[in-house]
Amino acid sequence: MKKIITLNINGDDYDLAIKPTDFLVDIVRDTVGLTGTKKGCNIGDCGACTVLVDGRPILSCLTLAMSVVGKKIKTIEGVADGPELDPVQQAFIDKGAIQCGFCTPGMILSTTALLERNPAPTEEEIKHGLAGNICRCTGYVKIIDAVKHAAVLKTKEGTDVR
Amino acid sequence: MHLEPFEYEKPNSLVELEALLSKHADEARLLAGGTDLLVLVKEKILSPKMIIDIGDVAALQGITADPAKGLTILAGTKVSTIEHSAEVKEFAPALSFAAAQLGSSQVRHMATMAGNVCHGSPSAETSPVLLAHGAVLTIAKAGGERELPISDFWLAYRKTALAPGEYLKAFTLPALPKNAAVEYAFKGLRGAMEIDMVNVGVYLELEEDLETVKEVRIGMGAVGPIPYRAVKAEAELKGMKVDDAFFAKAGELAAAEATPIDDVRATADYRKKLMSVLTRRAFSAAFARIKGE
Repeated sequence: MKKIITLNINGDDYDLAIKPTDFLVDIVRDTVGLTGTKKGCNIGDCGACTVLVDGRPILSCLTLAMSVVGKKIKTIEGVADGPELDPVQQAFIDKGAIQCGFCTPGMILSTTALLERNPAPTEEEIKHGLAGNICRCTGYVKIIDAVKHAAVLKTKEGTDVR
Repeated sequence: MHLEPFEYEKPNSLVELEALLSKHADEARLLAGGTDLLVLVKEKILSPKMIIDIGDVAALQGITADPAKGLTILAGTKVSTIEHSAEVKEFAPALSFAAAQLGSSQVRHMATMAGNVCHGSPSAETSPVLLAHGAVLTIAKAGGERELPISDFWLAYRKTALAPGEYLKAFTLPALPKNAAVEYAFKGLRGAMEIDMVNVGVYLELEEDLETVKEVRIGMGAVGPIPYRAVKAEAELKGMKVDDAFFAKAGELAAAEATPIDDVRATADYRKKLMSVLTRRAFSAAFARIKGE
């Protein structure tokens, strides 16, 4: 039976009619219409569906929509500040870390979570943090470069006097 | 994707949780992180009538370290929290390490150690370390609690000692005595997002002379239907002097007690050899840790 619930996605409240069996990835993509979040394997192996819930990177394909009521959900659409790209997004562009782009939203959200906890990760720490995001274009070298670059950009952003 | 319908309940307190569990004991499944349960539901291996989400039960969240009692980890604590906890790093570094090897960052942010243990997979990363620590489980239900050594928790392949209406509430890792250490070693097919071919947790405690074995425990994973202790090896190793011959013997005895099968990840023969090597290395590392090397 459907219930009306409210989900807070990228700072906006959405009133949604959902069933207990609805997964967050499908609600975000098909009901809310934010298709930046990708659905790959659908069983938690590929990381394409990664979103942040209260700042933690989670797999939206293994998350029941009802379980995130009252929490702050961030998808790739909520990363940029208006037309201003987030440093992580800019770093992926600067380093050419995008090929087909399917894994990119998940990569960027995993990177965001990683840098939040560890602002200057080593290469090993980057690999450990992104191990759950699979890129089928095999662009890992540039992705790791981009994460290192993002760490630098974010640190600069933090110290800039604007 | 069509899923068999289920009801969804999200208790906020232990009282609500226990009431739901006692009322729906036979048809409900607890949802902690969902990284195992919801995969099984999607694959139609499980079709629970009700899912009880314990994600918002604050009384199941947290880690406390007490010099006398040891380390208590409540069942709803996320694996990533265990991985990064300063208390776990100090009092059970091998557990922090094993937690970091589980799944991916996303899985660790969702999953709980209780889920890892209750799911009952013989290759679960945290189980051998908990066996090595001699962890004690607090199992609760409406109107009561009991304690159970973790070595008595797994009964058969994916079958645990939890009775209908019961749930795992907490893990207690007794404080390590002086001159003791726990280590974890594993082998997988690749560096991440894999299921271990073999994993092992060892506990080594030395006499005052820092060379005679006072106590050992060996928790073995992926070499039988459940994670289990190599009790015969443990009995034989006690009282030995720690040297290279001891490390080799420990590996040999653990391998002798391993009962692996051939499967897609490794042959039984290779698993036995791995168990020998990993046990030897883990004891060697534990010895170095005790000596402060």
